[in-house]
Amino acid sequence: MSATTVPVTPVRATLRGVVARVGLLGGLTVALAVILVLSAGTGQLDIPRDEVLGSLLHKIGLDLGPVPSHPQGENTLWQVRFPRVVMAAIAGAALATAGALMQGVFGNPLAEPGVVGVSSGAAVAAAAVIVFGWTFAGSWTVALCAFLGGLLTTTLVYLMSRDGGRTEVVTLVLTGIALNAMTSAGLAFMMFLGDTQAREEIVFWQLGSLNGSRWEYVGVVAPLALVGIVAAMLLAPKLDLLALGDRAARHVGVDVERLRIGTIVVVAVLTAAAVSFCGIIAFVGLVVPHLIRLIAGPGHRLLVPASALGGAVLLVAADLWARTAVEYADLPIGMLTSLIGGPFFFWLLRRARRTAGGWA
Amino acid sequence: MPAALRPPALGVLAALLALLLGACGISAGGGHGSDDAEGSTSAAPPLADVEPIADVRSWEGEKIAVPRDELDPVAENPAQDLPATVTDSQGTRVKITDASRVLALDVYGTLSRTVHELGLGDTLIGRDVSTQFAGTEDLPLVTQNGHDLNAEAILGLDPTLIITDTSLGPWDVVLQMRDAGIPVVVVDSHRGLDNVVSLTNEVAAALGVPAEGKKLAERIQAEVDAIVEQIAAVAPADQGQRLRTVFLYVRGQSGVYYMFGEGSGADSLIDAIGAYDVAEEIGWNGMKPLTDEGLIAAQPDLVLMMSKGLDSAGGVDGLLERLPALAETPAGQHRRFVAMEDSEILGFGPATASVLDALAVAVYAPDAIK
Repeated sequence: MSATTVPVTPVRATLRGVVARVGLLGGLTVALAVILVLSAGTGQLDIPRDEVLGSLLHKIGLDLGPVPSHPQGENTLWQVRFPRVVMAAIAGAALATAGALMQGVFGNPLAEPGVVGVSSGAAVAAAAVIVFGWTFAGSWTVALCAFLGGLLTTTLVYLMSRDGGRTEVVTLVLTGIALNAMTSAGLAFMMFLGDTQAREEIVFWQLGSLNGSRWEYVGVVAPLALVGIVAAMLLAPKLDLLALGDRAARHVGVDVERLRIGTIVVVAVLTAAAVSFCGIIAFVGLVVPHLIRLIAGPGHRLLVPASALGGAVLLVAADLWARTAVEYADLPIGMLTSLIGGPFFFWLLRRARRTAGGWA
Repeated sequence: MPAALRPPALGVLAALLALLLGACGISAGGGHGSDDAEGSTSAAPPLADVEPIADVRSWEGEKIAVPRDELDPVAENPAQDLPATVTDSQGTRVKITDASRVLALDVYGTLSRTVHELGLGDTLIGRDVSTQFAGTEDLPLVTQNGHDLNAEAILGLDPTLIITDTSLGPWDVVLQMRDAGIPVVVVDSHRGLDNVVSLTNEVAAALGVPAEGKKLAERIQAEVDAIVEQIAAVAPADQGQRLRTVFLYVRGQSGVYYMFGEGSGADSLIDAIGAYDVAEEIGWNGMKPLTDEGLIAAQPDLVLMMSKGLDSAGGVDGLLERLPALAETPAGQHRRFVAMEDSEILGFGPATASVLDALAVAVYAPDAIK
């Protein structure tokens, strides 16, 4: 990704950078707040907005506004809708951050957890937990195994797709095809082994859904995502240096190999956070960082936090649609994000082909 | 950057996408209510009233077996002895204080049918997709395609008791109902002749009507015993003479088909109608995809199916064309297919006896079915 730079004086550039940074992050935060409120106030159980607000205020100790009049309104909000909205925001943030990191570390615009098979690697491990009924780490078992699966696949992608210090588009995509084939074979085998209930759950994984998000799960996913996003922000300045090339980065004091390995672990943590309870939600990590780059340029210091916010906005909005479009039903959100992300991927492929001068 | 997509193009793309998504959303809504296609087939007469044919093996043709669907509650709005505390099939202790707004949900619709037969049909406030008996048409459908539960939709109905099993999912939604403080009684997911009585009692205990449960269970058992005895009188006594039978689960035209074996309910169905269970012979358990050669090796004389499954494969003609292996079996050559409505054939609830009766007529006296 080469940015076209206009010569400006350093001071003005810095000033402009600060303004852009504040403006973009501020704008995304506002957007996230708006979509969260909108999403929390909308659902299949019709609860008027003022009652949603009243319920929230009562919960924090303010006796303002009406409480839900529907007998199950309060329960619906606090046990079903709110955990789901929060889960959507966390998963979206985690996936988009993972995408931004992967693109940075691979130096390749097409890297994304879903596309290169990291998500499905994590899902295979999670499916194994379901089928074999492992519970060695309590409610963290699924997340832990998803992390290991994700780590393994990310490392595999890294080892297989890099050659001579760079990752070519074609190699990366082909690695993704091979890995996705292996992981879907793994999932198919798990389905063969599992009973009907396990099968249902695996199908749910493959399509991705936020239906059935509970606070217990949010409690597992939130710390993982938080740790991952904070680590990503710490890594971001070094990723900017890495963009200069391995050699240049080494000259300015970056331990390139350690940076790469650290980033891979963070990607695995973030992917596991999103995948362990929501299944495979593809393309969020692809679409969001690219949109942010179109607005703010390729600098990781802004890209990483902005992607986290943007991912949260996107997934909360997508989930709002997924759970309200069809009465009494839930659409698989992974289907929805792929429907939007697929065409976007085509466009990126064509662009990468043109700008990189063919299939180098 | 010449490669960037111009804003108008993006706008058009977004509009197209929105249109596409909108269309999907609308069309996905009307999935239910196509069960009138078989309207021309009337219910099978009782086995006792018909003359069995002499040679069941060489008879040719397919039959849709429609059970005589007679609703006959054992009581009328019986008094519920509540609060009741029950230990459900998963060992969870559940306290039920109010069973006036009930959701009884499972993949075959057996549980809501049982609630109705216990005399508490009026307490049902929603239904699963398989619950189609008279009087339930206007209840809201909470399972969109047979097994997807939606938490907000269920809570919106404000149930005071949910009776379900593990055949519907996602399981997390069931847990969310518990989080929301609604008592959830999880009954045995197995459906078969061996647990009709215990299943009925489980449902009755949750509703606080154990006496009616006992009464209903005894009635079901007596009816089943009676019909099994009648069937035994017409079925060949010698195992070797019985019709080799498989239960095939077929959906659509993709060529994927499952054979149902031990523990699926199909095993006890085949035994009860006096047929020879091929799946048992080869040690097949659960519900697994079958290979073409396995099907040929099984050499079934008779194939049991779900009628919507048969329709989706394009009827018997479509099925034989799609699965040449099936044409290489006696069942395929004689078109010996007996199909029954998906929600009834493996339901094993209060309707068990009429299901067995209708299947037996379709097998031993097929001419009697119009």
